[in-house]
Amino acid sequence: MEVNQEVVVVVIKNIKNKLLTLFCLGNIVVGFAQIDENVTTYKKRVLETTEVDFLMSYYTQEGSHAAVTGGVGNEELKDITPTFIVAIPLNADDVLTIDAGISAYSSASSSNLNPFDISGASGNGDDDDDDDDDDRRENPASPVIGSPWVASSGASSEDVWFNLTVNYSHSSDDRNFIWTADLGFAAEYDYTSIGLGGGITKLFNQKNTELGLKAQVYLDQWNPQYPTELDSYTDSNQDLNTGYFSGIDILNQSGQIINKNAIDAWSPFKDHLVTEKGRNSYSLSINFSQILSKKAQLSLFLDLVSQSGWLANPMQRVYFADRANFFVGNAANIPNYTSSTNIDVFQLADDIERLPASRIKTPFGMRLNYFINESVSVRTYYRFYMDDWGMKSHTASIEFPIKLALGKFTLYPNYRFYNQTAIDYFEPFEEHQSTSTYYTSDFDLSKFVSHQYGLGIKYLDIFSNFKIFGLGLKSAEIRYSSYNRSDGLQANIISSGIKFVSD
Amino acid sequence: MKYFKKIVLCLFATLMLSSCVAVKEYKKVNINDPDMQLSGLSIKRFETNFQVYREGASGANGGKSGGGCGCN
Repeated sequence: MEVNQEVVVVVIKNIKNKLLTLFCLGNIVVGFAQIDENVTTYKKRVLETTEVDFLMSYYTQEGSHAAVTGGVGNEELKDITPTFIVAIPLNADDVLTIDAGISAYSSASSSNLNPFDISGASGNGDDDDDDDDDDRRENPASPVIGSPWVASSGASSEDVWFNLTVNYSHSSDDRNFIWTADLGFAAEYDYTSIGLGGGITKLFNQKNTELGLKAQVYLDQWNPQYPTELDSYTDSNQDLNTGYFSGIDILNQSGQIINKNAIDAWSPFKDHLVTEKGRNSYSLSINFSQILSKKAQLSLFLDLVSQSGWLANPMQRVYFADRANFFVGNAANIPNYTSSTNIDVFQLADDIERLPASRIKTPFGMRLNYFINESVSVRTYYRFYMDDWGMKSHTASIEFPIKLALGKFTLYPNYRFYNQTAIDYFEPFEEHQSTSTYYTSDFDLSKFVSHQYGLGIKYLDIFSNFKIFGLGLKSAEIRYSSYNRSDGLQANIISSGIKFVSD
Repeated sequence: MKYFKKIVLCLFATLMLSSCVAVKEYKKVNINDPDMQLSGLSIKRFETNFQVYREGASGANGGKSGGGCGCN
């Protein structure tokens, strides 16, 4: 009987142990299940809170190769660009970004679309480029003068470029795949653009490697504005005695008044201006990034860009070496035409610039960033560029972010080198031959070297203590750069940015 | 053609590099520093914009490579 009781106790103990084991296992399974559930339900948001960036820049430039006046003349330009960017997390995976800005500029070069405004509007007819719609000169008694060296006062002296881009991005649950789509619109007086784009990015190798592919299309449209003498000649049915040129003396190279009815009187080289107002750009970008070590990472970029349509700028004049020269203004200053002392004589254009209807660009770039220590890192960039217009270019830049005050402030000293060869169709003022099919005197497409030096400073408010309208300040930065081109163009730019985050 | 060969070689070499390195997430504190990001800093967009106007070359910098403005 005692034996039986012992057996029963052992059996009960075994059952109890098994039940306990089962209970424990059950708990573990449930626990794991809960952990697993937590893993699948909790995701770090791609963007924690709404971020708002207010950006602004002020740009000035000076130079003596204005493209609107055929490669000689005042290039003074001022540009201010207030911009804001809002990034809104729609959920844990999706972010909507709105980028809107304007660029308001005044340009001496553009103002000389009609250089004769400096004499108090110009000509007879509303090709005078002044702000009113009348058909008369503001001061008919004053002589008509103009100069590529003096900014004119017409409507083309200033313009506003407006841009709005909306971008949507979605990240996969494991954050290893991202797709984006964007839609944009930009407009200024003589140009409108619609942009569409999309891209995919795949991360692999424990997020050490990233491969991205992006496609972008811009469907652009010119509202062409022409040099006033070319436009007016067409408007007056090629008659120099009526319309804009009525009552205005045209001078030859010797300063003598020409007979406007003579067969060799001034006339534009071609009787047609812009024939195709569209300008489309298609680009495909491949981006490869790789973490090389705990302190270094590299990125490679390759773009393939195809542009078609009217790729020349209808505002830009060209003067041929093998055609006679004609002027309006003070005959005494014709010998000084290319000197900035010329303030009152202007040479009538032979034609607008003409460039091929297609262009293929292939830039290849790479970035290499290295974390030297807690205070200093180095950011480098190199790009090789070539296109089928004969241009080749090298760009190299280096920047040393230096952290101060435990990372509250960062300094950004930087330097950028750039060079390019001229495109096949470039010649300076009065050096083109009229036998050429394509021609431009735009020095932006000439051979040159440029150097850019800059310094920036950034303040980082880690805890966003400073608040305004419910938004906490995240960072504030300001940056200055000086740009010097070997053809004499000099530019300065100050940029600033303030980033806020919502609570 | 020579140019494309160089690019392909460069890409291939970098892909080879990638197979040897896998820095763990918790060791990426330096790599994740905002100043180490491989995309251009947002405040630099204005400099990139004026360069697109004043220079013939553009693109391969994560920004615009043509179109959207009456620029080169």
